[in-house]
Amino acid sequence: MPTILLWSAIVLYGAGTLLTVPSVIRRRPSLSPAALGAIGAGLLLHGASLVAHTVELDRLPITDVRSALSSFAFLATVAFFLIYLRYRIISLGLFMVPLVLLLTLISALQPGHSFDSPSFRSGWLLVHILAILLGYVGLLVTFVAAVMYLIQERELKSKRPHAFYYRLPSLEICDKLYYRSLLFGLPLLSLGLIMGFVWASRTWKGPWELDPKILAAMVTWVIYLVLFATRASGSWSGRRAAYLAIFGFALVMVTFLGISFVSGPHGYFPDLSKMP
Amino acid sequence: MNLALVGINHRTAPVEIRERMNIQEDLLPAAVTDLIARDGVEEGLILSTCNRVEVVTRLRDEVDPQLLLRTFLADYHHCDLSPYEKYFYWYRREEVIRHLFRVASSLDSMILGEPQVLGQLKSAYSTARSLGALSGSLNEIVTRALAVARRVRRETAIGTTAVSVSYAAVELARKIFGSLAGKTIFVVGAGKMSELAAKHLLRSGSSTIFVSNRTYERAEELARAFHGTAIRFEDLFDHIQKADIVICSTAAPHFVIYRSQAEKWLAARKHRPMFFVDIAVPRNVEPAINELANAFVYDIDDLGQVVEANRKQREREAVWAEEIVTQEVQRTLRRLASHDLAPTIVALEDRLNQIREGEMNRLHGRLSTLTPDQREAVDALTRSIQNKILHGPITELKSVAGQPEHGALVQLIRKIFGVSE
Repeated sequence: MPTILLWSAIVLYGAGTLLTVPSVIRRRPSLSPAALGAIGAGLLLHGASLVAHTVELDRLPITDVRSALSSFAFLATVAFFLIYLRYRIISLGLFMVPLVLLLTLISALQPGHSFDSPSFRSGWLLVHILAILLGYVGLLVTFVAAVMYLIQERELKSKRPHAFYYRLPSLEICDKLYYRSLLFGLPLLSLGLIMGFVWASRTWKGPWELDPKILAAMVTWVIYLVLFATRASGSWSGRRAAYLAIFGFALVMVTFLGISFVSGPHGYFPDLSKMP
Repeated sequence: MNLALVGINHRTAPVEIRERMNIQEDLLPAAVTDLIARDGVEEGLILSTCNRVEVVTRLRDEVDPQLLLRTFLADYHHCDLSPYEKYFYWYRREEVIRHLFRVASSLDSMILGEPQVLGQLKSAYSTARSLGALSGSLNEIVTRALAVARRVRRETAIGTTAVSVSYAAVELARKIFGSLAGKTIFVVGAGKMSELAAKHLLRSGSSTIFVSNRTYERAEELARAFHGTAIRFEDLFDHIQKADIVICSTAAPHFVIYRSQAEKWLAARKHRPMFFVDIAVPRNVEPAINELANAFVYDIDDLGQVVEANRKQREREAVWAEEIVTQEVQRTLRRLASHDLAPTIVALEDRLNQIREGEMNRLHGRLSTLTPDQREAVDALTRSIQNKILHGPITELKSVAGQPEHGALVQLIRKIFGVSE
């Protein structure tokens, strides 16, 4: 059941992506009802698939990479709607919806390694994962805002306006979105990491600090801390910050997905002997 | 429907011809009155602007539109029209509808998408309307044209980009700063162009303006006009880092603002962007400033380039707009044709009813032996036959409403059933 719902959501996200294109090309003041309808329906089915999965597992579906990715994509779509309602950035659909589609697709194609452990029911752990997922959603928006900023900045510097000049929001709006999403994402990431440390120090034996995922997450955290500090003090130009934000998000994705395949307590193929 | 239009515009005629054929605004009511007073004219509208003169009429079917409109123009302008013939364009029937829709939507304008022509058409419409010159199909067509123009504005981006240099500066400022509310403008060198650009920026929401000029009095004068602050030229560089937008147009034969200075200002501004509009020739702002992060320098040629790109954008949007016009023309034709249809259908029904009642009356004597029930049955039977016969032709008529073959079919059906015009 969750799988069917998830695939239906993917089809609708795909339709939503395609339906967004004409609104962007024709520079309409808002996305077409068809596009919003498809993405919205996709979101509902996606949500239903997560609920069904929760019922099936009898816990939040965030402790294996497939489900965590799916939940992440779901939260990103929610973020897309919230930002769209607030800022009415049409082109955001063209940047975010395909990303959501891709993430959901990867999640659906993952073999669902579901395993259970009493530790997965710990409240600390759930807060740790949820906070990090929400933080990542914020940083995804930061990434999209940085990309839009760079494109629009290039258009303005080139003095020869092309398609994007007319369709992307102003630098100011990109910057606002960048900073606000960073202010949302960074505290949640920090909270998630702290929760993780607390949980790990209570549960795991041995040198868990050297887990590759934890190391990568620490590097990511430092990057975003730098981005926050430079933006708050105005000491970096928008372009430099945007490049680092893009690099930062690439590292988020590596942390999130790539390192999951390496063994270690975060490997989703856990060496259960290490587990209590 | 005998619709006809004669016109000249900026494309077909040079300005000296257009001004010769122009009908001044205050003389327009008299001209419209003259037009509709002519024999055979059912409705009329005159649109006269600096770019075009259009005379639109709906005539009685037998009237030759070329003859009538030529005579009208010759009489009105007291001249022989033959030297002007080659500048005129003529439209009939649905071409008139299409042309009016395109004019109203600003697809026929010198600058695609400019909004003035719609206002001009509106006022021409209300003039004609107040004189009772519009009462039927033409009235419907012109009202429709105004609605089509609104639809084009709503559904395409044809009018959204700047097509003048000073508006291009505003548009760019918006692309950088988003809203211009609360943004600070510095005008360096109080020329005509910078005045215009500043005016547009202020109107778009900027609130604070500083003016600096070699002669301080001129700066004060301009600052007063804009409710701004004048700054002595010597003090300019102490304040300029406050500026979000700098408009430069001094007569200096060299750069006034250098990269090294801009670098310092940007750092002091914590990398909030600065937009330099350099409309001076020779240029006042060192172009290399554009290489600095968060600084944008546009000289007069760059602005021209933006205007050119915007024009191309409008042309692209015009393709969508033309599609809307085509749809709307078809829709209007169908509507007008369905008005046309009603008399034919009524005449057909009358004709068949007449036959039926004639036959019933002829057989009256022989039917008198029937019981009331039986008589009612015969009545119902004949009515039903009549309706069945009518069903085919009426469906056929409705199905071709608005199509080119519609007129011929109406004629044919009228002929077959012996219904006179």
